[in-house]
Amino acid sequence: MNPTKISACNVNVFYGASQAIKDVSLELADKSVTAFIGPSGCGKSTFLRCLNRMNDTIDICRVTGDIRLDGQDINAASVDPVQLRAQVGMVFQKPNPFPKSIYDNVAYGPRIHGLTQNRTELDEIVESSLRAAALWDEVKDRLRQPGTGLSGGQQQRLCIARAIATRPEVILMDEPCSALDPIATAQIDDLIHQMAQDFCVIIVTHSMSQARRVSDRTAYFHMGNMVEYGETEQIFINPREKLTETYVSGRIG
Amino acid sequence: MTPSRTPMQQVQASLARRRRKQITLQVLGIGAISAAILMLGLLLTTLTLSGRHALTQTHLTVQVFIDPAEIRADRLPRGGFDDVVTAAIAALIPGADLSNREGRREVSAISSNGAQFLLRDLVVANPALIGQTIALRFPVSDPYDQLFKGLIDRATPEANRRLNDAQIARFDALVAAGAVSTPLNWGLLFNADSRFPELAGLRGALMGSFWALLTCFVIAFPLGIGAAIWLEEFAPRNRISDLIEVNINNLAAVPSVVFGLLALAVFIGWFGLPRSAPFVGGLTLALMTLPTIIIATRAALKAVPPSIREAALGLGASRQQVVFGHVLPLAMPGILTGTIIGLAQALGETAPLLLIGMNAFLTSAATSPFDASTALPTQIFLWADSPERGFVSRTSAAILVLLTFLIVMNALAIALRKRFERKW
Repeated sequence: MNPTKISACNVNVFYGASQAIKDVSLELADKSVTAFIGPSGCGKSTFLRCLNRMNDTIDICRVTGDIRLDGQDINAASVDPVQLRAQVGMVFQKPNPFPKSIYDNVAYGPRIHGLTQNRTELDEIVESSLRAAALWDEVKDRLRQPGTGLSGGQQQRLCIARAIATRPEVILMDEPCSALDPIATAQIDDLIHQMAQDFCVIIVTHSMSQARRVSDRTAYFHMGNMVEYGETEQIFINPREKLTETYVSGRIG
Repeated sequence: MTPSRTPMQQVQASLARRRRKQITLQVLGIGAISAAILMLGLLLTTLTLSGRHALTQTHLTVQVFIDPAEIRADRLPRGGFDDVVTAAIAALIPGADLSNREGRREVSAISSNGAQFLLRDLVVANPALIGQTIALRFPVSDPYDQLFKGLIDRATPEANRRLNDAQIARFDALVAAGAVSTPLNWGLLFNADSRFPELAGLRGALMGSFWALLTCFVIAFPLGIGAAIWLEEFAPRNRISDLIEVNINNLAAVPSVVFGLLALAVFIGWFGLPRSAPFVGGLTLALMTLPTIIIATRAALKAVPPSIREAALGLGASRQQVVFGHVLPLAMPGILTGTIIGLAQALGETAPLLLIGMNAFLTSAATSPFDASTALPTQIFLWADSPERGFVSRTSAAILVLLTFLIVMNALAIALRKRFERKW
């Protein structure tokens, strides 16, 4: 296992009075893909959103416990969520490009964070990000056209390019393929493999085959508990827990 | 449920009833819309029928000899302009007798009181005209305007008529001489108000409404959007923000006359701002428009899909960047529509303007928001109250002008919405 990028210890999440995550502790390795699987409502997305403090935007949501990125407590008062989110990028379930041009979509992150000094550097970031998202060849002639005009799979890759463009260290993906057809999904899967060379990728997915294809390690969540966490092969072939076995064998969920 | 019928038979049995309900609903809907269209048609027809008389104005064109005996260059702007005009009219009427006071008055009453001032302004601007004969076109006075437009029935017994037979005969002589014409009444838009209907126009009211709406927009637009953004995007959800929200909704329902009383007490009473000023009118209208803009803006902000906010937040945009970079631009069509509809409401608002004195009789148009002025609705109110017959058609015409502005503003709202609407 690669060195630890994120370590979570005794994380609890409450929505008002109900508890969505119960005492979850795990370590996420750098430059690898970790998959979170589990039935709907098990808390895997909620836990994912703790890692870049997206839960802060929900008024009634309360997070306790200790989450460290490179040893730094991300919930510390000194950490600005803006900076954290520049470090920990996110790709959402539904492709959500801005209603702007393809170029402006990718350039948005670098622009707001002031990552570039001039136009040439920005052009380079946009191109390299689109290349990294395997979208460059398809859109290089229409960078000025609206990102919302692309197909669903292209939109999602655009969102990945947009996330990559801010040069994050971690990329969170919340069911990135649930709105896509199998061909687009296969393209994203390839992309996730590639991304694992540079980033710590964490993906929430409902597709067990996708988890199996793309991830190095897998965590199984059930009713807010993390039931089992280990090498993907081990989770799918030889799970230690009964709950995991019933889920991965397709008997529940 | 009778067991002998199959479910399919039961469905069939219910079909007729369901169709009947559907048709009833459609008939009611079409009926409601027809009634509304009928009412609107009735309103517009009566206004047009009455207002069309004000679209033209009967004018008299006469050759005026600017008599140096009456008008002396060294005494300008004083001079016998009235007598000169009267003489010019009398020249076209066979048997006109200017030797006595009565006869002079009969002839001079044909021309509008404004004719002499028209001539005076010409001569003052160019004193070289003295001693020359020039063609002068000026409005006739209201009764003769009515006569020429057929609004005075010649068959009415003389005693009940506004013009007696001799007066009509004199005017007919002018018509026979080809001196009478009815050009378009641009004065309706470009003249200020006057006691004489043939001279009265809406320039003062239009300027007053313009300044008031400008003030209203400059104040209510940024304040309304700012308040809505804070309430919608930044305010914590607690009792205080709930209370504010409820009160904004209540404010939108407060009768406008109450805002007028408030403005009278606060702006004029405490702050000592000038009475009748469009600036104060604008402030009052801004108070009324604010809730409308806040509510429309909040609705528009709410309608922006959360996925866009999440996308921007996920990239590390600050909340301010999310709001100003993404949410506000996407909400703009809705905000603009709400604002323009709010301003259109403000344009037609009468009661608060009456209370702050924007119904004064003023014969000059405001040149700044701090000059006393009327506004379109208060001008209509003033004219509707005037006894002169000529103001009846002018009131209708003024209402048509107001309605035209409202329609233009609403069309603008629709156009802006279409122009800026984007898909996401």
